[in-house]
Amino acid sequence: MTCRCHIIPPKVLERLARDKALSSEQRKDCADTVQFEEHWRKLRSLLGRSSVIAVESVAAKVTLAAKPAITVYDCATGTALPGRPIAKPADASDKSAVRAYTTTTGVADFYREVFGRNSVDARGMTLQSSIHYGRKYNNAFWNGGQMVYGDGDGEIFLDFTRSNDVIGHELTHGVTQFSAQLEYSGEAGGLNESISDVFGSMFRQWSKKQTVAKADWLIGSEIMGPDAKSQGYTCLRDMADPGAKHCLAPQPSNYKQYKAGMDPHDSSGFPNLAFYKAAMAIGGKSWEKAGHIWYQALTGYPPSPRLKMKAFAERTRQIAKSLYPAEASVYKAVDQGWSAVGL
Amino acid sequence: MDELKIERLGGLAGIGGPSSRIASRGRIGLSELSPRDRSVVENLFHAHAKGAKIAAPPLLRDGFRYRIARIVDGQAATIEVPESAVPQTLIDCVKDELI
Repeated sequence: MTCRCHIIPPKVLERLARDKALSSEQRKDCADTVQFEEHWRKLRSLLGRSSVIAVESVAAKVTLAAKPAITVYDCATGTALPGRPIAKPADASDKSAVRAYTTTTGVADFYREVFGRNSVDARGMTLQSSIHYGRKYNNAFWNGGQMVYGDGDGEIFLDFTRSNDVIGHELTHGVTQFSAQLEYSGEAGGLNESISDVFGSMFRQWSKKQTVAKADWLIGSEIMGPDAKSQGYTCLRDMADPGAKHCLAPQPSNYKQYKAGMDPHDSSGFPNLAFYKAAMAIGGKSWEKAGHIWYQALTGYPPSPRLKMKAFAERTRQIAKSLYPAEASVYKAVDQGWSAVGL
Repeated sequence: MDELKIERLGGLAGIGGPSSRIASRGRIGLSELSPRDRSVVENLFHAHAKGAKIAAPPLLRDGFRYRIARIVDGQAATIEVPESAVPQTLIDCVKDELI
């Protein structure tokens, strides 16, 4: 059974299985898929419940491990997850495996040392990565339980494990899943993407011990392939200048440009720029003050899947006041950062 | 010839966005598909015609979507589905290009 239409509602599949306009083979496929759907539905339900259980575990202060185990699997250009386990990824001859392992370990250290967070779920969840996903696959993604990295086509993109901010970005989708639980559409979708860019870039700066003035604020600069570089593209996105010509995926930079149905990778431009402006105005290192304000706004409230950008901006303003009551300049920096992007 | 036009969208790079510098497109004749893949594609279009919304896995982030346009006997139809619903043959015929 190779049909992968597992996300068509069962009632529709059952109707299609009886639809005489379809061939007998197609009707059988639909009937088979209904059966498969039952198993898949259970799996999805378990995945959803595991998230809920993990969130409840946080409330119950149940720690699964003192620090997360880091595991790496090799898909060997296939798409079945997780792939073959790599026994000692830190010592592997495969540079992708070493990068996935060491950078994921670095991101776990970053969240623990800077924010006191134990893994993405705050309770020591194993951080699992699969590398060499698909053939010349130009993407990396978080599937709800693990990170997945493609090798790139070698022309526009290189191996997606090369940019440490990309690995930080994907892991932060996990942090969001286990905290604010933002949806992936509408304004919450744009916030979800922005938070991954913000903490991905912050991790990159922390790794280099960089001040905000020294940071490049680029997302994906090390996955640019020779064809992209030859045409002057230096990154996927630039948090300091979302619409810049050197971005492969330039973004709008003011909330007045927001439109319903916008892809989260477009609508994340305004909150990205707001964070950049706030962090630059505060000065020093991004994770020391601005980072703590954004982290508190993400994790310090009950889950808010449909959070609007204005509400998130207001959270950061309030937190700036409460965390740094003696430093009016911090509140002013955050307030002006959001105001500059129309929020 | 009846054919499918396929466009890859989204992903970490936000491919296919209004300002994206990457176009990701392909096309394939229906006759080039295996009976199994053709059946999968037919089912996707039938489900769409009957009003089913084919959603991505709920916790997937940065995943690709595919816009598939079909012209059969002069009748055009377009669907947009997550990568997990698309046969590998269709995925393989899509090529990323800088624009």
